[in-house]
Amino acid sequence: MWNTIYNWLDERLGFNELYTNLLDRPEPKTTWWNTLGSASMFLFIMQGLTGIFLTVYYTPSPDHAYDSIQYIMEGVAFGWLIRGIHHWGATLMVILVFVHMLRVFFTASFKFPRELTWLIGIGLFLTTLGMGFTGYLLPWNQKAYWATTVGTQIAGTVPFLGEFILKALRGGPELSALTLQRFFSAHIWIIPALLAGLMGVHLYLIIKHGESHFPTKED
Amino acid sequence: MNDETKQKINKRYERELDKGERFWPDTIFRDLIMSLGIFLLLILLASFVGIPVEPKADPSDTSYIPRPEWYFLFLFKFLALYGQLPLIGKIEWLATVLVPGVAIGILTLLPFIEKSPNRYYSKRILPISIMTIMVTGIVMLTLMSEVPTVAEDGSTLLGTLQTIVGIFIPVIAYVLFAFFKSNTRLMIWTTSLAALSMIIISGTVLALAPEKKAEETEVATTLVDQIFAGQDLYSIHCTECHGDDGSIAVIQGVEGLEGEKITPINSRDVLYTITDSAMAEVIAYGRPSSGMTPFGKTYGGELSKSEIDYIVVFMRYMWDDRFEVPQEALKPLFPPLAAGEVPSYDVHIQPIVKRYCISCHRAGKENNNYLMTTYEEILTTGDQAANNVIAGDEGSYLLQVIQEHAIMNPEKPGEELIGVMPPNRALKPNVVDVFFRWVMNGMPRTAVEAGALSTTPAATPTP
Ligand code: HEC
Ligand code: HEC
Ligand code: HEM
Repeated sequence: MWNTIYNWLDERLGFNELYTNLLDRPEPKTTWWNTLGSASMFLFIMQGLTGIFLTVYYTPSPDHAYDSIQYIMEGVAFGWLIRGIHHWGATLMVILVFVHMLRVFFTASFKFPRELTWLIGIGLFLTTLGMGFTGYLLPWNQKAYWATTVGTQIAGTVPFLGEFILKALRGGPELSALTLQRFFSAHIWIIPALLAGLMGVHLYLIIKHGESHFPTKED
Repeated sequence: MNDETKQKINKRYERELDKGERFWPDTIFRDLIMSLGIFLLLILLASFVGIPVEPKADPSDTSYIPRPEWYFLFLFKFLALYGQLPLIGKIEWLATVLVPGVAIGILTLLPFIEKSPNRYYSKRILPISIMTIMVTGIVMLTLMSEVPTVAEDGSTLLGTLQTIVGIFIPVIAYVLFAFFKSNTRLMIWTTSLAALSMIIISGTVLALAPEKKAEETEVATTLVDQIFAGQDLYSIHCTECHGDDGSIAVIQGVEGLEGEKITPINSRDVLYTITDSAMAEVIAYGRPSSGMTPFGKTYGGELSKSEIDYIVVFMRYMWDDRFEVPQEALKPLFPPLAAGEVPSYDVHIQPIVKRYCISCHRAGKENNNYLMTTYEEILTTGDQAANNVIAGDEGSYLLQVIQEHAIMNPEKPGEELIGVMPPNRALKPNVVDVFFRWVMNGMPRTAVEAGALSTTPAATPTP
C-alpha cells in the first residue's frame, strides 16, 4: 500500500532525484566551522515562526505597540517564551552570520568558483542587520525609540542625500506613527522576503559547487 | 584567471571529494546537532535571562541616553572617538559614511580584489592581517562602548586610551602593512603586537572605568502593579489639590489657589467626558489658566509618559464606575493595628514609606542624604543619622517631624534643621501611629519579630 503510494508520487515528483541531488552528495571533510551557515538558516526559520506568532498579538501603533508587547509577556500563555526566543534569536543570528562570514573569509572560500556565493552572502549579512534594526523599534519602549532616533540620525549625515534618507526612513522629520508602520512592514514583509530570496540563491549555489575544502599548503 | 588555473582548482577539489564524506548523513548530522544546541540555548536564554523591561517610549524625555543596538555600538563608539580628533573630527560624514562605506565596499568586492587563486593562510597574510586588526577593533570597541570618553572629573585619559585602541593602533598597523607586506614574519609580528596591545589597553580601560551606576527604572507590568504605581504617583503629585480620593471641590491650603472652586476629578463629569488620551494630556499639560501646573516632562514637569499612564489607569479603576477594580488592588495600604499590636517593617512601614516618603528620600533628591529605600537605610543614613531613629525614644527626629514638629538648628537659633515631613501635607493620624509604635518598640523588621513584641493576645502576625 505505502509502496504503491510512494511509487506513484515518486514517478511524478521524483523523490529519488531529490535524494541524490540534495542529500546524497559528496563533500570534502567538514568541521564544526561548516555548521555556522545552516545554524544561521535555522535561526532565520525560528525567527519566522516565532515572529508570525508575535504578529498575532502585536499592534504597530505608538498607542498600542507597548501594551501589546506587555500583553504578550503577561497575558498570552508562553508569550514570554516565544518573545524571548525571538529576542535572543535576533542577537544570536547577527553573531552567527558574522562569524560565518569570518570563517568563509579566513579559509578563502570565496574564491573561484564561489564568488557569487560571497556576493549573495554580503546581501544576507546586510539584510540580517536590517532585520535587527527594524525589529528593534517595534516594542516602542525607551531603548527602542532612542536607538532608532540615533540610528536614523547617523543615516542622515550622508552628504547631500542625508536629509532625504532620514525622511524616507522616518516617514517625516521626526520619529512617529509612520516610522513604526514603515519599520513594521519592512520587518515582516519586505526584508524577510528579500532575505528568503537571497537565501534560496545562496543555497542553490552551495549545492551546485559543494562546500569548499579547508586549504592546505597545496592551495 | 585562465582556464588552466580553473581546471587545476577543479581537479584539486575532486581529489578532496574523494577522501571526503557524504552530505547525508555525515555533514547534516553535525548541522542538526548544532541547530539543536542553539535551540536549547535560546530556550535557556529566554527562560533565565529574559528580556529587560523598559518603560514606554517617551519622546519628551531628552535626559534618556540613547544607545543603538549592541551590534552597532562599535560604530557609535568609533564615531565618538573620531569626533574628538582635531580638524577631520569635524567632518562627520567621513566617519559615518565614508569609513563604513569603504569597509563594506571592500568586503563586497573582496573576490574581485583578492584575485590570486592562493587559499592557504600563509599565502594570504596581508588580507588576514587586515581582517584580524579590524575584527579586534570591532570587538574591543564594542566592549568599551559603555566607558565614557571624558570622566566626571574632566580627565580625558580613558578617552585617549580608547582613541589609541580604536584609531591610532589600527592606522599605524595598516601603514606598516604597506611596507612589510612581502615579509611574512614581519607581518605576523606586526599583527600580533598590534592586536595584543589593543586587547591590553582595552583591558586597562575596562579596569579603570568608573563603575556603572545601576539606573533602575521601575516598570509596572501587571494591571494591579500599574494601579498601585498610579496610586503612589497620585499621592505624591496630586493629593495636595485634588485630595486623597479626587473629591476636593474647593482647594484649601495651597498657596495661590486658596478657595479655588474645581470640579471633583472623581466625578462622572470628568471621568465620562475625558478620554484616556485626553486625560493624559491634561496631566502632562496641566491647566495653566486655572492653576494646575504641567506634570509631563515635555512641558517641564517630572512625570514620564508611562507614569502619567499609570495615574490614568489608577483614576479609571478606582473611581470610574464603568471599570471593575481587581480585588487585589483594593487591599488597604497596611493592615490596621489592634491595640497593643506592634507593626513591622515588612508589613507596615515599607508600604507607607513607599507611598509617602520615597518620592523624596531616594538617591538623587534633596533630602539631607536620608535614604529610605531599604530597612538598613532608614536606620542608618541621613545627616542626622544618630538622631533620626532611636529605639524607644519619642524624641527621634523622624517621629518629631511627622508630627508636625520641625527640628530647630541648635547652632543657628530660628533656623529649621529639618522641616516637617512630608513637607507638603500632614500624614493621617493612623499612619503616624504606625511609625510611633514601630520606633517605640525597637523597629522590628519581620512580622514574626513584631508579633513576638506585641502585647495583645489578639494580635496575630499578619502575613
Ligand atoms: C496645584 C494644584 C493642583 C495639582 C497639584 C493638581 N491639579 Fe489637577 N487641577 C487643578 C486645577 C485648579 C484644575 C482646574 C479645575 C477646573 O477647572 O475645574 C485641575 C484640573 C484637573 C483635571 C481635569 C479637570 C477638567 O474638568 O478638565 C484633571 C483630570 C486633573 N486636574 C488631574 C490631576 C492629576 C492626575 C494630578 C496629579 C498628577 C493633578 N491634577 C494635580 C489643580 C491641581
Ligand atoms: C516632598 C519631599 C519629601 C517627602 C515626601 C518626605 N521628605 Fe523627609 N526630607 C525632605 C527634605 C528636603 C529633607 C531635608 C531637610 C529639610 O529640608 O527639611 C528631609 C529630611 C528628612 C529627615 C531628616 C534627615 C536627616 O538625617 O537630616 C527625616 C527624618 C525625614 N525627612 C523623614 C521623612 C519621612 C518619615 C517621610 C515620609 C512620611 C518624609 N520624610 C517624606 C523631603 C521630603
Ligand atoms: C519573517 C520573520 C519575522 C517576523 C514575522 C518577525 C516579527 C516580529 C514582530 C511582530 C516583532 C515585535 C515583537 C517583539 O518585539 O518581540 C519582532 C521583533 C524583533 N525582531 Fe522580528 N520577525 C521576523 C524575523 C526576524 C529576524 C530574522 C531578525 C534578525 C535579526 C529579527 C529581529 C527582531 C528584533 C531585534 C526584534 C525586537 C525584539 C525585542 O526586543 O523584543 N526578526 N519581530
